Amino acid sequence: MKDIIFAMAVRNVKINILRSILAAIGITIGIISIASMGMLGTNMTASVTDSLSSMADKLSVSPYSGKGGGGGPPGMSGDSDNLTKKQFKDIEKIAGKYGYVYGVHNVRAKVKKGSDEWSTQVYGLETDAMRTILDNLTAGGYPSTDNSVLIGPTFASDNDMEVGSRFSVGGSGVKVSGIIESRGMTMDLNTDSAIVMTKDMYESLFGAKDEYNQANIVLEDINDADAVTTALESQMNRREETIRVQDSSRMVSMISSSVTTITSFASLIASISLLVAAVSIFNIMMMSVTERIREIGVLRSIGTQKKEILRMFVYEATLIGIIGATLGMILSIIMGYFFILIMVGSTKYFFTYDSLIHLPYAMVVGLIICIFSGLYPAWRGAQMDPIEALRAE
Amino acid sequence: MTDEVVRLENISKIYPLLSGDVLALNNISLSIKTGEFVAIIGPSGSGKSTLLNQLGCLDVPTSGDLKIGGKSITQMSDSELTHLRLIMIGFIFQKFNLLPLLSAYENVEYPYTLKYRKRDTSGRVTKLLDMVGINEDLAKHKPSELSGGQQQRVAIARSLVNNPKILLCDEPTGNLDSKTGVLVMNMLKKLNSKGKTLIIVTHDPGIAAQADRTITIRDGELVADVVNNQ
Ligand SMILES: Nc1ncnc2c1ncn2[C@@H]1O[C@H](COP(=O)(O)OP(=O)(O)OP(=O)(O)O)[C@@H](O)[C@H]1O
Ligand SMILES: [Mg+2]
Repeated sequence: MKDIIFAMAVRNVKINILRSILAAIGITIGIISIASMGMLGTNMTASVTDSLSSMADKLSVSPYSGKGGGGGPPGMSGDSDNLTKKQFKDIEKIAGKYGYVYGVHNVRAKVKKGSDEWSTQVYGLETDAMRTILDNLTAGGYPSTDNSVLIGPTFASDNDMEVGSRFSVGGSGVKVSGIIESRGMTMDLNTDSAIVMTKDMYESLFGAKDEYNQANIVLEDINDADAVTTALESQMNRREETIRVQDSSRMVSMISSSVTTITSFASLIASISLLVAAVSIFNIMMMSVTERIREIGVLRSIGTQKKEILRMFVYEATLIGIIGATLGMILSIIMGYFFILIMVGSTKYFFTYDSLIHLPYAMVVGLIICIFSGLYPAWRGAQMDPIEALRAE
Repeated sequence: MTDEVVRLENISKIYPLLSGDVLALNNISLSIKTGEFVAIIGPSGSGKSTLLNQLGCLDVPTSGDLKIGGKSITQMSDSELTHLRLIMIGFIFQKFNLLPLLSAYENVEYPYTLKYRKRDTSGRVTKLLDMVGINEDLAKHKPSELSGGQQQRVAIARSLVNNPKILLCDEPTGNLDSKTGVLVMNMLKKLNSKGKTLIIVTHDPGIAAQADRTITIRDGELVADVVNNQ
């Protein structure tokens, strides 16, 4: 070894290998915690964004009720305010070139089956919209007769219904023609526990001819959301506020950012473990310096410079850091993988750049903390008076 | 004047303590020529080691002027003093003070590596070890695996590796049995006869008697400076 100062640092770590490894484990644990938390954040955000992005391409336009507020997804209340035929035409004209526009009737209506009576959400859609938006049925087919309807999977299972089941809605008897596949949380139509019927049937039962409760837009390109919103609002709300546009991509980004906030907070907590590691490295380095006071005295007396003594101890702390960081990196990959498998339920995004970048990042942070913790003890060693040091026992 | 290697002018060393200042050296002046063999004697606590530490640039005097090889060291920075120790001075201690992590060979090579920033390829280290009677096998051992006498011989080889002008020894035989002590003393005397300035602090009157000159310190003051003639 060419650098004798480095060689001595290596030997001191080797001689005290157990102690060095114990101190390094602190760093290892710290690195595992922050790397795992970081990777958890990335993977969670990615998978949440993924499952939300299917709904991020949707806008819905509803009439402005003048009541203000109005959280919650649109279409949940059987509001009597409807879009006029003209308004719907305007919306089609403005938004049509950006994607698919369709009108939605909806109301909460009484449902009766045998002696049971309850109320549920009823949607009315054009047949074309039905086939486009609700493009997956788990059973049966789209309504072909005047009195057949689609039902959501939850509605079906809650009420023991299947294709061909009969019940009455809004006082009129209907037959189930098909069951819609589960669509989970969506921003446009919440069909899982609802009944979906044709526009014609809806209008014959509940009126409101050609006056939809809302218009939904499925964008071809997510990035058009702002442009469409602006276009609709500027053209239709010019004189007075007549419509309200709900942009689901805003909601998606809000959810994503709160996931990020939560995982950043978790990372912060995880970095406390690095603080603990720093204390243990500091402790070990102080011990190493104290044990070697006499040796420092000898080194200094025969011509070793202060900065070389400093270097020797910094090397030592760095070596411990490298042991800890390497161990931490290996374990982070293994433990992080299973951790994410359990917490997120999928490792689809584990081997991506954004996720794996947390490994070198955590490693560098761990190493820097290690070197910093060794700096003060090393400085103390270097500042030692050679005569005093030689006198030490 | 040209062969004067050490010159002290009115050197004093005060250790400030809470219980009061300790005057460890009091107004000492003396001059040592190249190639001289000087013994420093005196009772315990009289200031012998303190004086030797000043000569070895491990410490600077509180007042007075100290020249090593013609250069005043009193205003030097720590880094300059350290460099001077590396190239001008060889230390031999009572407790050997070898570096425990290094083998005997590496111990001798260490100051060489510091000075030249490279390992010794000239065979100088082996030659020095050979001279003090440490063979290649022993040279691979760590200090803890050597006897006291062997360690002190390695220490002598180490002190010589950068070809210093002055050898400073604080009780070099203090931890050795009398037979080994004689062996070590003969080695040091041989180096002196080849021109090295040798300064030894000792309690042993027998060693003091072998020197060219004996300096006696008492309570930090130089009380006698006698040239031995024989
Ligand atoms: N770092 C220090 N701080 C305070 N006092 C000191 C210090 N070093 C030495 N002294 C004092 O200076 C005086 C001289 O000490 P020194 O070690 O030079 O004695 P010595 O002649 O070498 O003694 P010995 O023969 O026992 O080795 C003593 O009174 C000692 O207590
Ligand atoms: Mg002494």
